[in-house]
Amino acid sequence: MKPFTYLIPKTLDEAISLFESHEGRSAYIAGGTDVLIKIKERKLLPDYLISLKHILGPDRPLLNADTKELYISAFITHRTLERSTLIQRTYPILHDAVKNIGSVQIRNTATIGGNLVNAVPSADGAIPLIALDASVNIYGTKGMRSIDLIHFFLGPGQSVLEKGEILTEIVVPPLLPRTGGAYIKFGRRKAMELPLLGVGMLLSLDEDLATCVKARIGLGVAAPTPIRAFSAERFLKGREVNEQTLTEAGQIAADEARVRDSIRGVAWYRRELVGVLVKRMGFTCLQRAGLKHGDSEDV
Amino acid sequence: MLANGTTKIASKLAPTINDRHLLRIYDSAPFKSCEKPMTNVYIVGQRVSKLAAAEKATGRSKYIQDVTLPGMLHGKILYSKYPHARIVNIDTSRAKKLQGVRVVLTGEDIPAIRMGVYKDNPPLKAGKVRSYRDEVAAVAATDPAIAEEALNLIEVTYEALPAVFDPETAMQKDAPLVHEAHKTNILKMPWKLHYGDVDAARKEAAHIVEDRFSATWVTHCCLGTSGSIADFDYDNHLTVYSNTQIPSLAQKDFLGTVKALGLKNRRVRVVKPCIGGAFGSKLDTYAYEHVAILLAFHARKPVRILFDRKEEFIATSTRQPAIMDIAQGCDENGKLLFRDITMILDNGAYTSWGATTPSVMMMPISTLYRVPNVRYQASCVYTNNTYAQAMRGYGNPQATFAIESSIDMLARAAGIDPVEFRRINANQPSEVSPQGFRITTCGLTECIDRVAHEIGADDVKKKGEGIGYASLIHVGGGARVYKSDGCGTLMKINDYGKVDVFTGATDMGQGADTVIAQLVAEELGLHIDDIHVIHTDTDVCPWDVGAHASRTTFIAGNSALGAAKKLKEQIVKIASQTLDVDPQQIELNDRMAIFREDTEKNIDLGKLLRKTHFSPGGNMLMAEYFYDPDNENLGRDFKGNLSMTYTFGTHGARVKVDEETGKVEILNYVAAHDVGRAINPMLLEGQVYGGVMMGIGYALTEQVQLEKGEIMNPNFRDYKVLTAKDTVPIEAPILETTDPDGPYGAKGIGEPGCVPTAPAIANAIYDAVGVRIKDLPITPERVLAALKRKKGIDSCGIDPLTEKEYDCT
Amino acid sequence: MSRQISFDLNGNETSLEIEDHWTLLYLLREKLGLTGTKEGCGSGECGACTVIVDGAAINTCLYLAVEVEGKTVLTIEGLASPNGDLHPMQKSFIENGGIQCGYCSPGMILSATALLEENAAPDDDEIKHAIAGNICRCTGYVQIIDAIKRTSQPETEKVKVVAWQSDTGNK
Ligand SMILES: Cc1cc2nc3c(=O)[nH]c(=O)nc-3n(C[C@H](O)[C@H](O)[C@H](O)COP(=O)(O)OP(=O)(O)OC[C@H]3O[C@@H](n4cnc5c(N)ncnc54)[C@H](O)[C@@H]3O)c2cc1C
Ligand code: FES
Ligand code: FES
Repeated sequence: MKPFTYLIPKTLDEAISLFESHEGRSAYIAGGTDVLIKIKERKLLPDYLISLKHILGPDRPLLNADTKELYISAFITHRTLERSTLIQRTYPILHDAVKNIGSVQIRNTATIGGNLVNAVPSADGAIPLIALDASVNIYGTKGMRSIDLIHFFLGPGQSVLEKGEILTEIVVPPLLPRTGGAYIKFGRRKAMELPLLGVGMLLSLDEDLATCVKARIGLGVAAPTPIRAFSAERFLKGREVNEQTLTEAGQIAADEARVRDSIRGVAWYRRELVGVLVKRMGFTCLQRAGLKHGDSEDV
Repeated sequence: MLANGTTKIASKLAPTINDRHLLRIYDSAPFKSCEKPMTNVYIVGQRVSKLAAAEKATGRSKYIQDVTLPGMLHGKILYSKYPHARIVNIDTSRAKKLQGVRVVLTGEDIPAIRMGVYKDNPPLKAGKVRSYRDEVAAVAATDPAIAEEALNLIEVTYEALPAVFDPETAMQKDAPLVHEAHKTNILKMPWKLHYGDVDAARKEAAHIVEDRFSATWVTHCCLGTSGSIADFDYDNHLTVYSNTQIPSLAQKDFLGTVKALGLKNRRVRVVKPCIGGAFGSKLDTYAYEHVAILLAFHARKPVRILFDRKEEFIATSTRQPAIMDIAQGCDENGKLLFRDITMILDNGAYTSWGATTPSVMMMPISTLYRVPNVRYQASCVYTNNTYAQAMRGYGNPQATFAIESSIDMLARAAGIDPVEFRRINANQPSEVSPQGFRITTCGLTECIDRVAHEIGADDVKKKGEGIGYASLIHVGGGARVYKSDGCGTLMKINDYGKVDVFTGATDMGQGADTVIAQLVAEELGLHIDDIHVIHTDTDVCPWDVGAHASRTTFIAGNSALGAAKKLKEQIVKIASQTLDVDPQQIELNDRMAIFREDTEKNIDLGKLLRKTHFSPGGNMLMAEYFYDPDNENLGRDFKGNLSMTYTFGTHGARVKVDEETGKVEILNYVAAHDVGRAINPMLLEGQVYGGVMMGIGYALTEQVQLEKGEIMNPNFRDYKVLTAKDTVPIEAPILETTDPDGPYGAKGIGEPGCVPTAPAIANAIYDAVGVRIKDLPITPERVLAALKRKKGIDSCGIDPLTEKEYDCT
Repeated sequence: MSRQISFDLNGNETSLEIEDHWTLLYLLREKLGLTGTKEGCGSGECGACTVIVDGAAINTCLYLAVEVEGKTVLTIEGLASPNGDLHPMQKSFIENGGIQCGYCSPGMILSATALLEENAAPDDDEIKHAIAGNICRCTGYVQIIDAIKRTSQPETEKVKVVAWQSDTGNK
């Protein structure tokens, strides 16, 4: 690896001022599972790496008892989320996703914030969070700002982050009652996979436990960024969730997807998968919405 | 005759097999100490732990990555940027000026050295490049990073040439020539055989099936990447540290390079560090090994070249890809009448063992099941792709994929149950196949029955579930592909009854050393830890043709046994003299020479040996043996008894196909093999499990993706080696037929595990959902496209052969 | 930049000078001679370089050496007890055929050890989940999973190979 200096700020302000003073020659590093690979491949050659790992903050996801908002520090690892009973019980959609990111070793270092900032269409962490209507807090020289995650991504590897800005926190709004969520990463192997397609879905039901009052469908690798299938969501809202409506929602989502060919998979197949997996995730949501806490059985 | 009072059981009928009480169940407790033997065989058949396992478990084993020499330089290779191009100019001046750089070499700087079976591959290319993996220049520097930087400073000017990536296109007259001097892209290798009369048989056949199958590039993915260190001494004698599977042949290759450097009468020593997996990949010498020698010669310092993972994918070789047209026919009763196969093999730009895989493909083609009329023809064609090597199974998995898929189709065409169809045509003991293979022991029928039983052939199948079978034949007693199929052993026993065994064999993880130690311990009545097996150094180890063809247990085992027998004779002789009894009455057991008539006389082996050593006119006992089996090279008509014995087996897969996504899940898997005799059931299982998982990867997920000659997925992220989460329940029952020529009855089992896996799975998919996937790997895309076509839905899908997408509109 | 770091390495307080851009893998192998930690890919995809840092398995090829400051690092060389007795996990791998070429073994054994620290009696699925990032090309994992299971649950039914003998004209 090309030599660099590693800086270890303890506060956000310190991190930002370090970034400023080495403007153009520095990069942030959290877990480093993306950034170090880029440096090894000489795609990125910073003289300064500014670590975000040592910035003091909560070491686990927290639920605000009053607002029922979930706060996830950007600097916590996938493994922490995977092992959090709060996530397992209340946000199975997120648990489905984080437990299958890379390997235990990767999850022990890689952070959720890094996953978002990396802004690849296959980011497993991003899809469920989009479905959860999460927003992110961003800190920079101009102070803190907040943006809905769905608007965070601009293109492959590109986000709304301005130079030197740090993603500090992810905020998930309260869940409606009778909400079920699920995420599936469809890959060729059962582990160590980037998704061929990722589908994260959240359904909130009416008291009849059948009618959809709110639907969220996040798709990974279905477009240059993580996206939502808005038309399919609109279609489901107000309808009874069943084989027929889910199949149709799947078809609508498939039409919305802007899939393309890559060495990892061909477009037509990805489109097929959107249809099938939206339907299947819909069923899992339905089942989990009926459970007291969405349980975390495998999907 | 076996330990633990094995009961013979009737093998024909499944119900009998059902009664597990009748079976010998090996206890899986590791063999710790030598209890007094109950029978005459006690270490053979035990689950002895691998000899070097503790070294490996503690991280002490030294792989090539862990070997350094004082003053060692680091070598790096520059590869081509084009699949086919003229090298107009190479400017190395800037690289040479970089501080720390010691040597820079290009193809122009080196003597004429040609590698590979066709001698068409120089270690550094001059004049033109023929593939992306072509080595254009090499650097030796004091640090790997400096060497890397130097590569970036080498300026190569190329003039792109039209390239050809499809073997069928390459066969056409106006195709660009990969090797102009060769005048055609078709290799002059006459892979052609015809036994009986296929055309006549075809006319008689009641049922005929015909189809085209294809197998693509996959690669070994040894976890330890390749590497080599070359070190000349003051007098220019050369030592090469390399993780090769062919120490003796590599020694010869390296000597060729030393000679080409103008050095006469020099010695070459090959030292093998611990090998991080091989699977056939190290069966030929590679450019990097010769380049290390050239760099070391010019630097006058040791030079190490180590591959990173990307290089391992790009610059080592693959399994031989194949396009296979097959026709088979049978009579009314399901008896096979003929088999007619034509293949086109993409040879890539250079010729290594991949081009000779037809010699092994001929074995299943002529001899898997009884088939009286056989025709086979294969063309190897130069292209600007990567070139293939040996890989576990050596052509057999490809051929068996076509044959066994086609057998399944034929069984169905004839309206016969696929298990019954295989039984009807199964090879039998003591028969000679049309190719002249003299089958000695053969448990194929029993393996078929066993698998059908274990896989639950009669259970009710749920929707989307299916069962498939495929069988295999493989060489199990060496394979005379070279002039010699031999292996030598030297053996000495010290004053304390400890034996050093110097063998030509190579252990690359499969456990050759352990099996040899077991055989020697058994023969000499010693404990396993009395045996030290040395297999790492051509200076002290005798010649061996190499670790290929699943031959090591059989050949190196017989060689070690031969030496042990000679040593035993000497021990018995001195014992009889010392004890003054008839040699006939002496046994060696539990580190003692035993005289049954009067156990008072029993003497500790060490004591006996010391006595012999330290008496006037003393003697140390040593023995040597060279075992070259009585097998035959294939003749001009490709006839000949290639191996002393043949290993048989049947695999069965139960799968579930997701009809919406095309994804295949293996519910359980049974792989039964006739192994002759399990010298070490634990290691044997390890070979089968490892082979089957590799075979499942071959069937479902693995593929080196080439686009216009360029490897698009040179990493574990996109090349899908299976993970622990992808494991499936595997059963590996062992049939012992006790081969008359094998060491204690054993046959080879290194490769078979991955031979019939793909067709077993493909056949199961057909059984499940009625679509036949004829191309590997069987991706969900291919299955889904086939399902759609079957349903008559003319929607999106890829054509498995052309890989082109159907029109989606 | 170079700097001084201190950490616990296999039970020994260690203080040394490193460069900021060194990976932990580089420090262990090239500077400390602890070559038991292997490199199989250099990019987090094979697990051969796994060690345990503060109880968690990590890939040293993607972990900067500066980050071990004040932490506890366990490599394969430190797993056996100081008197040389093998760790039960090592023993189990040896005795159950979990090792063939051995290149994956140090990382595999450490991943498995980290698992048992967290979960004393993992089932098959938990074991597979924990070692999914450790590629083994040789064994097909069956005997590795068995070895891990039997370390924690020695009473687990042993993998048994069934052998039977032929009588159809075979000797
Ligand atoms: C073997 C392997 C397997 C993987 N498998 C998966 C997988 O299955 N699914 C998946 O989605 N991803 C996967 N990844 C990708 C990667 O691990 C994740 O994206 C991870 O979450 C990145 O987090 P990190 O902390 O390591 O990021 P880093 O590498 O530290 O940073 C990534 C980028 O984000 C920036 N950055 C990090 N944090 C912040 C922040 N808080 N504010 C501003 N900028 C920041 C960095 O400057 C850098 O540009 C895998 C990676 C590897 C090596
Ligand atoms: S070398 Fe670190 S994961 Fe492969
Ligand atoms: S034992 Fe060879 S890779 Fe695992």
